[in-house]
Amino acid sequence: MLLAAGAGAAAWRERRRRLQADRLLRHTTDTLEKLQIDFGRFAPWELIERLTASDLAALSGRRMVTVLFADLRGFTALCDQLEPEAVVDLLNGYFQCMTEAITSHHGQVTELVGDGMLALFGALDHNPWRTQDAVRSALAMRAALARYNAQLRERGMGELRFGIGIHDGEVIAGVIGNAELSKFGVVGDAINVASRVEGLTGQLGVDILITGDVRHTLDQRFHVEAMPPMAVKGKDAPLTTFQVVGYEE
Amino acid sequence: MADLLNDIEWGEPVVQPLPDADWEAQVKASLGSVPGYLLRVSPVPWLRETLRDWDRIPVVETPQRLMDIAKLVTAQENACRYCYGATRATMRFFGYPEKLIMQIERDVQLADLDQADRAFVRFCRNLARSKPRPARAERDPLVELGYSPRAVAEFAFVTAASCFYNRAATFMALPPEYGFEKMSGNLLGRLLRPIIARKLRSVPPLTVEQPAAPPAEFGGVVAALADLPAGAVLAHTLADAFASPVLSQDLKMLMFAVVARQLDCRFCQAETHNRLQGMGYASDEVDACLATLTSPRLTRQEVAILNWTRETVHFETGAIQKQTRALAEQVRNEELLEAIGVAALANSVVRLAMLLE
Repeated sequence: MLLAAGAGAAAWRERRRRLQADRLLRHTTDTLEKLQIDFGRFAPWELIERLTASDLAALSGRRMVTVLFADLRGFTALCDQLEPEAVVDLLNGYFQCMTEAITSHHGQVTELVGDGMLALFGALDHNPWRTQDAVRSALAMRAALARYNAQLRERGMGELRFGIGIHDGEVIAGVIGNAELSKFGVVGDAINVASRVEGLTGQLGVDILITGDVRHTLDQRFHVEAMPPMAVKGKDAPLTTFQVVGYEE
Repeated sequence: MADLLNDIEWGEPVVQPLPDADWEAQVKASLGSVPGYLLRVSPVPWLRETLRDWDRIPVVETPQRLMDIAKLVTAQENACRYCYGATRATMRFFGYPEKLIMQIERDVQLADLDQADRAFVRFCRNLARSKPRPARAERDPLVELGYSPRAVAEFAFVTAASCFYNRAATFMALPPEYGFEKMSGNLLGRLLRPIIARKLRSVPPLTVEQPAAPPAEFGGVVAALADLPAGAVLAHTLADAFASPVLSQDLKMLMFAVVARQLDCRFCQAETHNRLQGMGYASDEVDACLATLTSPRLTRQEVAILNWTRETVHFETGAIQKQTRALAEQVRNEELLEAIGVAALANSVVRLAMLLE
């Protein structure tokens, strides 16, 4: 009888231990899922999926991507006129609109630096239509900015203007950094060219510029105008760009 | 579990049921009952027969347990609220412990499965996701763990077939079977479980007839299934889909070409390119059409269908349902249904073509 009681007590303790382990496992799983959802604010979802699948190696490599740089013009001056909270609110609203325009065209916003943003098309997944997606995304950003500016005018906050540069080329992609701080990033001349093209928008007085590498992939539905060749830093020859006027279905 | 299911964004149905007494009688004779979704696809014969029959294809290499798990992980991967909920409930009626189901959903490494089964789950997930489409290297571990190449081919078909159902259900935004799901977890359901499980398993398997000739389209993919019953069924489905008069043949082939291009499938890209040339397209005309997703040969509605097809390869549920609704405004109901069927079929066939690597 004593042996039976002892065996029963041991079985009960073992069951209790397993139930506790199950509860702890469920709690940990719920926490991890919440963390994954929260992390979605800081990185594109496609990247998070790869990270949780421990698929970091597959992220690295050379690939052709379309790079879109967007930068606000005159924003620093605007910051001097507004309260800090209003600046943050204005900027966050702008980034929300622009991000929606980009992600709805298969792009990923990979960096927000000050009032600038870097978006990539075809960096995480194979995308045969990445250049068209990037240009249509830029047109959607133009339309979204017009709507956002209407809201800003109603609130008496002036309006925003941006410049967008788009280029297509080979980059090296991967998780870059160290144990303390790292990010998914791309490096290569294509990034520099896109940045330079964005910089030309101010000089040429237009909002969306693309390079010849993007231009030759577009069909007649995209209305573009050739711009005069311009010298850019880091390039021996002047760069020919094209203003994107519009798109006709 | 509730969080995972309820996290899936799901809209109102895109397609409404259309009563068809003859069709209902055929379904009842085959299945014993008439699932509601089969009434929504009644106008397109090949699609309605595929949805009725593909779930009953005899499997010869895949244990039932792995079939059930494949449906669960594929539905979860494709975020198909309808299939995910129905499969989950079905597994509960079949007696799968809730703990095992949750483990498979959340982390297969923690599930009470052996190494071979875990490799199978990973294979199903990767093939369903196809970001990128799995290469040959992902088939080899399954063979090394003891599965035959014939079994691996059938696994790929089981996953591709589940993807077909997931896409059809998602694009149509089928209303989930809430009553069935709820019953699987309540006291009445637990009491009636043996009876319900027996009824679910009592649906007779499909009688498979070998096609008279190899299919004209994608014969290589069918051949990769060797002498499996799934191969014969796929051959019939492809033939019937391309013979259907609702959408033009070249549009359907272009839809396959778009999926092949997005998934970077060399075999299917070559197959579709050759077929389109056989339909009178010049080689550079095919390239231009696929690069721009438009062509002077296509009507405005066909261009809309082609662009929509691109979105069906990798999608967010809410977004694709919104896009399908927008497409429904531009085309007739039969055209929408056939487009849904062809897009779902193309995604399955191109994924299956990984067997050819």
